[in-house]
Amino acid sequence: MTRLALHRCMLLQRLVEERIVALYRQGRIAGSVYTGYMQEAVAAATGLALAPGDVVAPLNREQACHYARGVTPADVFRNFLGKGDGPTRGRDGNMHFGVPARGVFPLVSMLGDLVPVTVGAALAFKRRGEPRVALTYFGDGASSVGDVHEGLNLAAVWRVPAVFVVQSNQYAYSTPTERQMANTNLSERLTGGWSIPCVRVDGTDALAVYEVARDAVERARAGEGPQALEAVTLRGHGHAGHDAAAYVANELRLRFGDPIERLEARLRLDGLEEGELAALRDDAAAEVAAGLADAEAAPDPNPATLEDGVYATPLP
Amino acid sequence: MHLSGEVAERDAPPGSMTFLGAITHALRDALREDERVFLLGEDIGHFGGAFGVTKGLWEEFGDARVVDTPIAEEGFVGAAFGAAWMGERPVVELQFADFVSCAFDQIVTVGAKTHWRSGIALPVVIRAPFGGSVRGGPFHASCPEPSFVGVPGLKVVCPGSVGDAYGLLRSAIEDDDPVLFFEHKALYRRLRGEFPGSGHRVPLGRARVVRAGAAATVVTYAAGVDLALRAADGLDVEVLDLRTVWPIDEEAVLRSVAKTSRVLVLQEAAGATGVAGHVLALVARAAFESLDAPPALVSPPATPVPFAPPLEDTYLPSPERVRRALEELLDY
Ligand SMILES: Cc1ncc(C[n+]2csc(CCOP(=O)(O)OP(=O)(O)O)c2C)c(N)n1
Repeated sequence: MTRLALHRCMLLQRLVEERIVALYRQGRIAGSVYTGYMQEAVAAATGLALAPGDVVAPLNREQACHYARGVTPADVFRNFLGKGDGPTRGRDGNMHFGVPARGVFPLVSMLGDLVPVTVGAALAFKRRGEPRVALTYFGDGASSVGDVHEGLNLAAVWRVPAVFVVQSNQYAYSTPTERQMANTNLSERLTGGWSIPCVRVDGTDALAVYEVARDAVERARAGEGPQALEAVTLRGHGHAGHDAAAYVANELRLRFGDPIERLEARLRLDGLEEGELAALRDDAAAEVAAGLADAEAAPDPNPATLEDGVYATPLP
Repeated sequence: MHLSGEVAERDAPPGSMTFLGAITHALRDALREDERVFLLGEDIGHFGGAFGVTKGLWEEFGDARVVDTPIAEEGFVGAAFGAAWMGERPVVELQFADFVSCAFDQIVTVGAKTHWRSGIALPVVIRAPFGGSVRGGPFHASCPEPSFVGVPGLKVVCPGSVGDAYGLLRSAIEDDDPVLFFEHKALYRRLRGEFPGSGHRVPLGRARVVRAGAAATVVTYAAGVDLALRAADGLDVEVLDLRTVWPIDEEAVLRSVAKTSRVLVLQEAAGATGVAGHVLALVARAAFESLDAPPALVSPPATPVPFAPPLEDTYLPSPERVRRALEELLDY
């Protein structure tokens, strides 16, 4: 069951991102686009490790986490296309959105900001004695931001049910990890530095990530304080749509396999027939095509509504 | 033994509640009436806060509702937004308003933009003691409100009376948006007034005519209110206390200026930033034809706040300076 759910979420991310990159190149998506190509396993497995009442703050690379929460490809396309009925109603683009009804906080660009916010959500759960967990992500690059330290420290000293997923994908934009920090072993730093248990896992192995993530989530839920995992991957595309990532050496690319192929190999071992796999792919492709058609037909935002909602309670 | 500032206030005769006591009272009443309210800040627990505003609250409400934080302004302000996302109503204390710079990103990024982007309301109040005359120097006496005047999504409140300190803070805590609540340090123990009663609320976004007059309007807020009242003694001058400095009650400003035809902006924030820039632009744009004199501005020079008494006393607007500026405005 979980394996199929993992496969579906990962495949949706892969296929939606393929469409998004194509639309961007055709000039049909404005601004910039970010993908989590080759990191889909981390996003899907951590998203699926959560219970429906949990909350999460995903970033750019974690589209599959949205699918795990019940967000649809149509929602995602609507945001990329700036549609009036998308998650941000055209007010923000690309992956910069959340879906409050699904417990998904809207991404803010400022790297690190969502770590304290997630800690605060977890603090609310702890105060009220609710068995819920708050989870967020940060990259190797973001780990240098002060907010990350402040948030991790607060989580640890308050012992809140928060889970942090470190996306060690070798690069922050063009800068490799070893030029960002002296000690690149982030799981060691989380465990030893902030006293937050952190397991390092191969981020191309969806099942392994799922095991580790579910463990972390359930320990946090059980009151054992904040937990973390470090998923090791390689960012598959450039930083954003405009970046060909020529600075990534080929030898490095060869060290990281495709997480979807890896999961499919596993599904075959489990006895899934080629025909069944093909049907899964067809289903996902159909969902993506329908989502795109839906989004393309959606209305543009109405400029007359621009000033609505600046405040929850507007002043007279 | 330590006596809480607020308990002392409660035992004091009517008319002698301090500005600080009103804030303590508002926090206590909000904590009593609403389970979702809790306080976060440095040394606010058993110590009672750097200025003693939260004295007695930890004893009554305990660790879960009066939370001492590590020194991490960006972190605990961000955590307050996260808790608010989950339906809590955190009230954060910054030890000095100057340290709001350390939390700036969370405030203007997460606090200000989230509702507009996603419809998630973030009811967080960030209280911060601000302002000079306490020899605090460049890092403990500044007026950082101009950094937030003009930021869509934020509300900025600066009470200038005891009753308003209570009523505005209660309203701010009940409001669904992030509110920056700047408390002038010089008013904490100097300003005294009646306790307005636990039901008292002052609507955000509404200015108040503190003293009516026909010959000129002083637009001011916070410690400027008391200063303007002293400077205007014997003159036919209207004193308008903005109370909420963002968004500004433009109607109240224009109504008063239409009546008096002369306006002076008085603020402790340096230069023409913040309220001054906004109000002067408003008057130029929307009241130009009713003016009988160029709008006047009394504010400190555009420097950081100096420490040494002769420097700080020159830097801060004095009653004499405001008086002279008013006389020039009236003589124009
Ligand atoms: C505070 C801040 N500084 C700079 C940026 C611009 N920026 C966006 S993503 C990025 C690289 C992030 O690297 P990492 O955290 O490792 O995540 P990855 O992109 O590799 O997934 C940069 C520099 C930003 N969004 N926020």
